[in-house]
Amino acid sequence: MSLTLGIFAVILAITLGITYWAAKRTRTTSDFYAAGGNLTAAQNGFALAGDWCSAAAFLGFTGLTALYGMDGAFYALGPLVAFCTVLFMIAEPLRNTGKYTLGDIILYRMKTRTSLLAAVGGTIVVNFAYLTPQMAGAGVLVRLLTGIPYDAAIVLVGIAMIVYVAFGGMLATTWVQIVKAGLMLAAAAILLLLALKAVGFNPLAFFSRAEAAYGPQFLAPGNYLKNPFDEVSLGVGYVLGLAGLPHVMTRFYTVPDAKAARRSVVWVMFLAGGFFLATTIFGLAAADLVGQDTIRAADKGGNLTLPLLAEYLGGGKGTFGGELMLGFVSAVAVATILAVVSALTLSTSGAIAHDFYVNWICRGQVHEKKQILVARLSAIGIGILAIALGILANGINVAVLVILAICIAASANFPVLILSLFWRRFNTGGVVGGILFGLVSSVMLAMLGPAVRGADAIWPLVNPTVVSLPLGFLGAVLGTLLMGRDLENEARFDEVTVRVHTGVAAE
Amino acid sequence: MPTPDDPKQMMASLVTRKLRFIAVLSVIYLTSYVGLTVLAGFARPFLAAKALGPVNVGFMLIAANYLLSWVLALIYVHVANETFDPLVARVAAALRLERAA
Repeated sequence: MSLTLGIFAVILAITLGITYWAAKRTRTTSDFYAAGGNLTAAQNGFALAGDWCSAAAFLGFTGLTALYGMDGAFYALGPLVAFCTVLFMIAEPLRNTGKYTLGDIILYRMKTRTSLLAAVGGTIVVNFAYLTPQMAGAGVLVRLLTGIPYDAAIVLVGIAMIVYVAFGGMLATTWVQIVKAGLMLAAAAILLLLALKAVGFNPLAFFSRAEAAYGPQFLAPGNYLKNPFDEVSLGVGYVLGLAGLPHVMTRFYTVPDAKAARRSVVWVMFLAGGFFLATTIFGLAAADLVGQDTIRAADKGGNLTLPLLAEYLGGGKGTFGGELMLGFVSAVAVATILAVVSALTLSTSGAIAHDFYVNWICRGQVHEKKQILVARLSAIGIGILAIALGILANGINVAVLVILAICIAASANFPVLILSLFWRRFNTGGVVGGILFGLVSSVMLAMLGPAVRGADAIWPLVNPTVVSLPLGFLGAVLGTLLMGRDLENEARFDEVTVRVHTGVAAE
Repeated sequence: MPTPDDPKQMMASLVTRKLRFIAVLSVIYLTSYVGLTVLAGFARPFLAAKALGPVNVGFMLIAANYLLSWVLALIYVHVANETFDPLVARVAAALRLERAA
């Protein structure tokens, strides 16, 4: 415990030093929201890996694989494949058309205040749905790993996140993510080496030993996701939802051009993809070496599998090596949460300060200095709200919120983004219809489903994406048709297309 | 009078080629991945059948999806760098010329 705290204190000191350095370099709104658009592809790729490998990935995938076998490996594969969607469909168009937010793109395409408001709504709902479980997870995790009480842990995490974002903006957030990604990958590489050593460098042995211990059913699908449609829904949700997450979109505004945006996706696909693949191996290794009973005894959901495996591979309980590895992995897990909540806060600040205050209320007529001030203040406000929500969520099953966040991103934001970029007739009615249908159907079906109502579920699926995503597209098309043709908007689509594919602005 | 360097035509052909290319890649990865989730939902005994020593068909297909994602990403970047970037540069130059005129 004290070793964990010590290693974490070092990580915290490094990130605060980075924030001090970044704060001095954050002068304009472009610095604040997009690090001035000056990051390299490799930096952005590492930051994306830091962003996308949340604690749910770091701890959750390993735990799921250790307890449920193949379904855990499915959970880990989706987030990699999701980057194919990002790379082929949205990374370059985002860089070419946007400035800081999803709202920017929608406003650029539609030129209407109603559509901007819809985009702000989609962003805020998704971000808070994602942020609240991260905060609650931070409370649980810090308490389990260090003994600090839940509420105090959330306040600490919240304060660190507010400091990073309010003072250091995107530059600090990015470097916190890069540091965390570096540590996470280093931890994974060491663990992978030790795990392979434990089985005589024969990866197939992970499978044969897990099967010998738990039987062939352990390696078969369906142990975790009982309903067949849930397997499909989970997959579709991940693969299209990532492209609709506002805090991931924001990362593409931090690089100078489409080429760098493209290259940063390849970086993240190899970094994060390699990591996701490793979580499957860690899960199988932990089931064999640590044992499911020990894993369940430490945490029913299996969230402490990776720390336990690290302790085992380091030399076992009570040894210095074991304590060191446990402390290292635990500290990285906490750093992971910090990196993710910071990105969410920054992206929400973009929706509230930049989209809503500056562009909607003040119609863009705000002095640069005041824009930055509002951005910083909004980050503080969002941080305080996140702390409050995290504390309120104590003891509530927040896992449903993560599913919901990705489901809404896939069902509301993704259709609207794609149609804005690629469909000439798409109009403001479509933006409103798409976001409304996607959002309402996701929330309603999740509330009626087993994640909230348990055995009393009226709706059978935990993850409603397989239905809500088509409904989101349907709402977008119906809204477009109901509003009638907006010929001026359609005529401007040529200009939009030029900008989407080349980045050349019209004037 | 449209010439071979007419930016509108160049743009239209660029967009057509790019969208066609993206559509092909997308059909491949979506079929492969969503197909796997459908099998995971509805063909569980098939995925549980042994393929390579202790490794079953499901894990082989999962590994294949990792490889496929990486390979498609590299193909995309290669084609974008070698084919589309020069086209985009030509369109952009033509557009600037047209606007300057």
